[in-house]
Amino acid sequence: MTLQPAGALPADLCTFDAQGASVELRVDAALYPLTALYGAAYVFIDRAFVLLGREDATHWRATLAWKRGTPPEGALRELAGEFMNELLSCAWRAGISEESRSILEAVTAQAFAGAMGPPALDDLDNFDFSEDALDDPLGIAMSWEEKYGKAKSADAKGDVPRDPTKDAEPRPETPQATKPEGS
Amino acid sequence: MIELRFCREIYRGRSVDEAIKVFAPHADMVRSEGPEHWVVQVSAATPERERRVAGELGNYALGLTVKSGGAPGKEDGPG
Repeated sequence: MTLQPAGALPADLCTFDAQGASVELRVDAALYPLTALYGAAYVFIDRAFVLLGREDATHWRATLAWKRGTPPEGALRELAGEFMNELLSCAWRAGISEESRSILEAVTAQAFAGAMGPPALDDLDNFDFSEDALDDPLGIAMSWEEKYGKAKSADAKGDVPRDPTKDAEPRPETPQATKPEGS
Repeated sequence: MIELRFCREIYRGRSVDEAIKVFAPHADMVRSEGPEHWVVQVSAATPERERRVAGELGNYALGLTVKSGGAPGKEDGPG
């Protein structure tokens, strides 16, 4: 079979046979993974006979043969161009799929974990509740009473001290809320 | 006679075998194995029929390979 350059398409990438019944495409394996080649070829098997192969260590070879008779003028070149476009699209989608694989796995794992339902009593028995759920150095999660309320000690007038022996000792002054002047 | 050479790196051997079974009624087929390829020789009454059966056989083998997730490697033999 004598191969000729395919018009406007790069001659080193695309050639078609002398009878004009098939076109051979040379595909860089570094740019287009095998999954992309599979995807593009699968799209075209209803329009052409597709045969894939290895050109050399760094290139795939895709041969598209017209299914019936002789193709119309320019049809084979159009077929080759559409195949290359589809190949580029498939390679791009394969790249996105590879990049988002970890996210998909994490979401799927969370979905399966949620689908397992609430924990059983045995799970709760073994659960470690000692760990603080919230680290709150600024005291934001404290209630108003805990943060600003009066101390529950003998500081207040008239209260009975909890420990009478310590009552004689001088107590540190508790900070009082200052009233605005003129009130 | 048309000889189809399916690269083992791309085509699954079982898919090629299944395709041969499907198209065997339409042409004579002889299967053999090379170090890098599954080889199928297709012979039919007319060159046009040979070309068509060989082309459809190749498409069928490719379709089955893609649907089964691609070629697993060179270790895979025809079923």
